[in-house]
Amino acid sequence: MKKFSLFLALAALTSGLSAAAVIKKTDTKASEARQSEFYERVEIPTPAGEVCEVSSLALMPGKKIAIGTRRGDVWIAEGAYDADLSKIKWTKFASSLHEPLGMFWKEGSLYATNRPEFTRMTDTNGDGKADRFDTICSKWGINGDYHEYAFGSEPDKNGDVWVVLCLTGSFHAHSPWRGWCARITPDGKFVPTASGIRSPGGIGANDKGDMFYTDNQGVWNGSSSLKWLRPGSFQGNPTGNKSASLLDFPAPPEPTSGSRILTERLKFPDFVPPAVILPHAIVGNSPSGIACDMTKGKWGPWESQMFIGEQTASQVQRVNLEFVNGLYQGACFHFLGGFEAGLIPVRIDQEDGTMFIGGSNRGWGSRGTKPFTFERVRFKGKVPFEMHDISAKPDGFEVTFTHPVDAASAADLKNYAMDTFTYIYQASYGSPEVDQTAPTIKSATLSADGLKVRLVIDGLVRGHIHHLVTDVKAKSGDTLWHNEGWYTLNEIPSK
Amino acid sequence: MRPSSLLALLATAIFASAAEDGAQVYNTLCVACHGPDGKGLNGLPPLVGSDWPKGPAARSIKIVLNGLTGPVDVAGKGYNIDMPPQGAVLSDEKIAAALTYIRATFAAGAGAVTPDEVKSVRAATSSRTKPWTATELLKAHPFPPAKTALKNLVGTMYKGEWKQMPDFSSLKPALMEDFNVGLVDPDQSGLKSNFAMVWTAQFEAKEDGKYIFNFDCDDFGALFVGGEKVAEIKGIAPIGGRRKEVPVMLKKGLTPIRIEYVQVGGEQVVLLGYKGPKDKGVQWLSKSKGGNAAKATPSIPIQPKDGVAAIYRNFIGGTSPRAIGIGFPNELNLAYSAENVGVELFWAGKFMDGGHHWTDRGAGNEPPAGTSVVKLSDGQAIIQDGAPSGNLVRYVAAKGGKDFVFSALPVSAEFRGYDLDKAGNPTFRTAGEGFAMTDAWAPDTAASKPTLIRTIKVTGDKAVTVVLARGTTISGPSDGVTEVGTGLLIRAQGGVYPRSSAADKTLTVTLKPGESAVLGYSYR
Repeated sequence: MKKFSLFLALAALTSGLSAAAVIKKTDTKASEARQSEFYERVEIPTPAGEVCEVSSLALMPGKKIAIGTRRGDVWIAEGAYDADLSKIKWTKFASSLHEPLGMFWKEGSLYATNRPEFTRMTDTNGDGKADRFDTICSKWGINGDYHEYAFGSEPDKNGDVWVVLCLTGSFHAHSPWRGWCARITPDGKFVPTASGIRSPGGIGANDKGDMFYTDNQGVWNGSSSLKWLRPGSFQGNPTGNKSASLLDFPAPPEPTSGSRILTERLKFPDFVPPAVILPHAIVGNSPSGIACDMTKGKWGPWESQMFIGEQTASQVQRVNLEFVNGLYQGACFHFLGGFEAGLIPVRIDQEDGTMFIGGSNRGWGSRGTKPFTFERVRFKGKVPFEMHDISAKPDGFEVTFTHPVDAASAADLKNYAMDTFTYIYQASYGSPEVDQTAPTIKSATLSADGLKVRLVIDGLVRGHIHHLVTDVKAKSGDTLWHNEGWYTLNEIPSK
Repeated sequence: MRPSSLLALLATAIFASAAEDGAQVYNTLCVACHGPDGKGLNGLPPLVGSDWPKGPAARSIKIVLNGLTGPVDVAGKGYNIDMPPQGAVLSDEKIAAALTYIRATFAAGAGAVTPDEVKSVRAATSSRTKPWTATELLKAHPFPPAKTALKNLVGTMYKGEWKQMPDFSSLKPALMEDFNVGLVDPDQSGLKSNFAMVWTAQFEAKEDGKYIFNFDCDDFGALFVGGEKVAEIKGIAPIGGRRKEVPVMLKKGLTPIRIEYVQVGGEQVVLLGYKGPKDKGVQWLSKSKGGNAAKATPSIPIQPKDGVAAIYRNFIGGTSPRAIGIGFPNELNLAYSAENVGVELFWAGKFMDGGHHWTDRGAGNEPPAGTSVVKLSDGQAIIQDGAPSGNLVRYVAAKGGKDFVFSALPVSAEFRGYDLDKAGNPTFRTAGEGFAMTDAWAPDTAASKPTLIRTIKVTGDKAVTVVLARGTTISGPSDGVTEVGTGLLIRAQGGVYPRSSAADKTLTVTLKPGESAVLGYSYR
């Protein structure tokens, strides 16, 4: 009790002494409590008596859905979309893949990226079970280390599947192509595509077909982030560089430890910085699966935005992306929470608007307390009052809201606070937040339709994460569901 | 409020804001695994009830700075999970604050940790790049001695291979150490196989009377009390069946005790306990506690079901990483190497146990669960006549083990997948320049003893040689039957017959396009 009153006294003192606004950040528990106003989260029963640590998901024709498990089983569900989930029917399609972390359905077969290979599974005799297993590609190395995971995408517009290959033990490259992304062509060719990867948690494309993956905090990753796999790019971790010599590729960059990403990427044009940094322990601890909203509103008003699973915090984060000076950048926001285990795959059915997630907390802890889970989430039709997106401007940001903002509230500069920071780019594990600055918000102008607030800001810092907290009210008087956003300002646009 | 107290409050407030908030650091970072209540989130190691956060601060500081890897016992339970290093993330002040919070909240009375302590440990361990192991940390910062009846415990370790108890007086010790933990533990040797240990100590009897000693070990050993051998465990076997319970009359005070122990291979365990005149249960003097001590990994047998073969694709000990294990209903099992396009392991009885790979992160290889394991071959199992068409690139450790370099192995064939019939019987498919090969396995239902029939077929326009066995003992063929390893019989039953080369220790069969070989595999 004493501590509490002391804290209040301190808060009162600091607010009296400083001009900076003190805005209460939305609390995770409180925002998760409001979630059911907007989204309905439902657990889908998994096959009785089976351990289904869901590590991959594939949407199939006829509203069927396949799950791949860490134990290597593949099950197909009929009825996972239905209101009455007690009637769900499960059929075991295959056994014992080696930790499949990426799966999709194409032309009558299920395809799985699993640890040793990219596999096609086909039921040739129509009995509901796969009887033919084709190894389409296995041109990457594995040496028996449990951490040499392989995550695979759905096919891109050329039919290529993108595979991101975790480092050995997440620190080393003791097998060929560890720390690389490669494309696998439909005829099984292995095309190394990007270097510099550490420990991916998921992979997926945006609505333009550009491929992204999540990489976890650790060596050379001051924080976890969403990264753009531009072909030919270097993603920042030089550990796997030695594989370049296998195909006489040009040597990837050898950056300097203890530097900053901006400094090093300006030296090496192939170095593509993280599109959106998910500040460690603030916006999750370990990002995983990626899904892009192309539902035209069925998933909510988030067309083209990216949704990212989170293992440790059992959450889904939301990201808006924009393309500035040849690079992706954008903002991340807290979104959904309260899932039952650590999330791994995330899929959105673009026709129907349902999000499916799977997860497990074996080996890595999660806030969700169940050992494994399979869930679906649906938009209930009520749009939450949120920052829809943050967009960079030459002299500040434009924040678009999902509902009209109250004019007086929007104009009051006390309703905004911004700070910036970055991370040390280094060979050690993670980084503290460093180089903090406090830009000044000079003006806030509301658009005629009440949806956009234009913030003119003195002190934008290229390369920094710009953390915006806002306490604006909606015209209706509603408060924000989540009131923080983190914008990774790789480039300051010229107009 | 009087001005003086407002000033005091202001001063306190400013001081409080300058100091790091340990609870906040804990609830941001540590909470992800150790949980808000310090009890460990979902099976991850707890801080509550653990000795680790107690005692010397340096031990905890080291863990936070560089992380912890490998097996660790926490609050009586075994874990094998990595804690990531936080030294590059957290300042000395933040680490001190978090540890102070942890010690105050979850390890009452362990005392505060200062930033200066963190700073000095950071400086002293600055060259350390790898996470610590539990063994390293406990060697440098042991837990307080256990209060057991064993006083002045000294362990002496000898290296060697013994099938029966050696005469220790004639052996040269490899290691001698005081173990003030007061507990006997074969892990104190630092070895896993082929060693012996002798522990000597004074056993403290609290009063006169009958002391019932419990003794067992894996593999074998002997217990001496007061200079007399009171119990002996002979042979090579796991603990359980040979456990001895022997009464010894002791006077109050110290009596010499001696434990002799030999470890050949496999699990290493010594169980030693006693029940004194006034004890209700067994007082343990060994780190292992007898009875129903929880095993770190559960057993999850993987076996054929409803007459359908079981399949297990994972890291199987004794073959390459891309292993495909098949367990047939007639209790014969094989492991196929997709790298080397051949069956490399054959065994009988139980197929595999998934308990290890399916618990925690599942690091490492799992050996076959059954018996009579024969390692059939290593390396590429298909040799194309003429030059190999492909290559398999591997990293191999460079000299000194510091770095890895590439090594390209010429290979003739690549793995293309497998088909499973309704009974789960596999046909492995491989292909190379100018040929394709199928390698089918199924139980022989007509045979009088468990037998697998292997049918190899080659198509295309090039002949290939298939290695059936290499690098093991090969006897025959005699009347079409070759014995490979100990007791595995390969019988030519149709098509092209295999041939052996004693000089190369190989058994091979060469097939032209359109030809096949039919072979029966069974145990003698």
